[in-house]
Amino acid sequence: MNKAERLIDLIAMLLEARKPVTLEQIRSSIPGYEQASTAAFKRMFERDKSELREMGVPLRVEPVDALGEEVGYRIPKEEYYLPELDFTPEEKVALLLVNRLSSGELTPFSREAQAALKKLSPDLGEGSRLGNAAPPRLRFAPMREREDILNRLWQAAVECRRVRFTYRSLGKGKGRAQERELDPYGLYLERGAWYVVGFCHLRGEIRSFRVSRIESQVEFASPEGEGPDFTRPADFRLERYARILPWEFEEGAPRKARVRFSPRMAWQVERDLGDIYRFEWAPDGGGILEVKVRNEEAFLNWVLSFAEDAEVMAPPELRNKVKRRLEKLLESLGQV
Amino acid sequence: MADPKDRIQRLLSLVPYVLRHQGATLEELCEVFGVSRHQLMRDLELIFICGQPDYTPADLIEVDFDGNRVYIRMADYFARPLRFTPAELYGLHLACSALAKLSDDKAAAPLFSAIDKITQALRQGRSSNDEIEGRMEIKPASHERAVLSELSRACEGRLVVEMEYYSYGRDELTGRRVHPLSLEFGMGHWYLRAWDERSREVRVFRVDRIKELATKAETFDPPPGEDLESSPPGPYGVVGSGGIEIKLSFSSALAGWAREQPIFTRCEEVRGRLVCTLRTENLSWLERELLSYGTEVKVISPPELKKRLRERALATLALYGDER
Repeated sequence: MNKAERLIDLIAMLLEARKPVTLEQIRSSIPGYEQASTAAFKRMFERDKSELREMGVPLRVEPVDALGEEVGYRIPKEEYYLPELDFTPEEKVALLLVNRLSSGELTPFSREAQAALKKLSPDLGEGSRLGNAAPPRLRFAPMREREDILNRLWQAAVECRRVRFTYRSLGKGKGRAQERELDPYGLYLERGAWYVVGFCHLRGEIRSFRVSRIESQVEFASPEGEGPDFTRPADFRLERYARILPWEFEEGAPRKARVRFSPRMAWQVERDLGDIYRFEWAPDGGGILEVKVRNEEAFLNWVLSFAEDAEVMAPPELRNKVKRRLEKLLESLGQV
Repeated sequence: MADPKDRIQRLLSLVPYVLRHQGATLEELCEVFGVSRHQLMRDLELIFICGQPDYTPADLIEVDFDGNRVYIRMADYFARPLRFTPAELYGLHLACSALAKLSDDKAAAPLFSAIDKITQALRQGRSSNDEIEGRMEIKPASHERAVLSELSRACEGRLVVEMEYYSYGRDELTGRRVHPLSLEFGMGHWYLRAWDERSREVRVFRVDRIKELATKAETFDPPPGEDLESSPPGPYGVVGSGGIEIKLSFSSALAGWAREQPIFTRCEEVRGRLVCTLRTENLSWLERELLSYGTEVKVISPPELKKRLRERALATLALYGDER
């Protein structure tokens, strides 16, 4: 007997059941299970059960009677059914466009988006026809991170569930992998790499982790629970955290620095950082950015990457440090 | 063989679709569910033999045909599709917000209201829309939206675009006339793939490095041989190829970082330092990168790069020459 048929029959039976159905009832009712030996049936049913759960079928295990000695299975309709959704014509058109966008695996998680749109199709009606979609004008490069890890982290962040994984950091630990427990607050994409940020129980503070450096599976710290395992601090803002700049990391009091940019580069700096820092345009098209600095080394790296298009105006100590860095570099280069 | 789970998922949506749209045509169903007619018929045959115990004809789902129209009865327990999994909800969110970022406000509004409706109706994992949104951050920043939507219009209408573009590799601003072909998101940035009139090739431009942009009324014909469906996206960032071979030596502090950089074709340890090789077309971008790393990185070859780095360092130092 076809496996798909067996699983559809199983879902149908458990959806209609008024009280939990015992294993024995399942075995004697559904044709696909009948022929198997008891041991083979149990293995088969375990596999089927976990596949249904992977698909998101809310399979409940409940006592059959008040004594609670025997358990049975049930799928509550109210947990299984997608609520009915009433979309306006404009919304239907918009979702059709999304359908096109994700049909070519163009966004991360696009397979899941596709599956979701199929589930919406009864409510969208003909709007969910893919039709002869226009050639793609939008494309997304494939992700380099492992999709199962990203999905798990995302789910954990939304449902506030603590996770555990092995992480190889690049810093002072010199590439040694360590077990971490994290309360994930969110994910962000920076320069093409995904990061997860949250409260790290090993360090006792909020930290970011580059997802590609996670070496193990990501497990829920309490797999049986449903969360939430923690509360995200009310004042936490991911959009702000995702834009913490390298020179803002590190403890210690922040100090203000003023950097002047040439007309050649000022427009880029203003676009990139103008929403975080104060930027004053100069009449020549250049401008001055007022930056908050906590990590001086990182700040110097950044300023020097602009070469002669950036000049630290203040404070004098930082100005001197730029000078010294350049002098040291020239020394090491010797006479070329 | 496709994953049987995919088929089951499809069947669980196909039944409610027909229950709600009785008499839907086979063509419609093929398009909505993205399957061939053959596969659709096999799906309907399978549904036909499913049902409730004891699976007598009275217990089975009824599938009827009238010409090419499909009717399903006796399947009220499958009246609605299965709820979204969290990953499906997040995936849909991501696709909607990616599209919204490319649209002007008028087109983005129904996208936001649709996703609002979905999240509210589901209340999955006790999470509101804002909570989901607040847990995912993807550039581009909002200021890119206007540019993206203008470029998107130029792609659709095949309109010539004139722009002032900053090339990171060459470290220079130049004026270009281009024929926009597609917008691509990769490595955390939006890129424009376009035919460049000056170099007479297809090039990839990073959208946030376009300083000025003007869409012309003039239209263009797509370049021959440029088949978007089959050409791979990218390349993004500095291309790791070119006539110049560079060897750099990294201190142990930077070695781990250097190993992660895809641009290096070779990395080997030499007396406690990491020697990395890369190829490039021009040195300008490297001078700036090297200035930034300071003495943690040493140039092994070519001598030309050392010379230019020295000149660049002297020119930068000159800005600070007024005090001593």
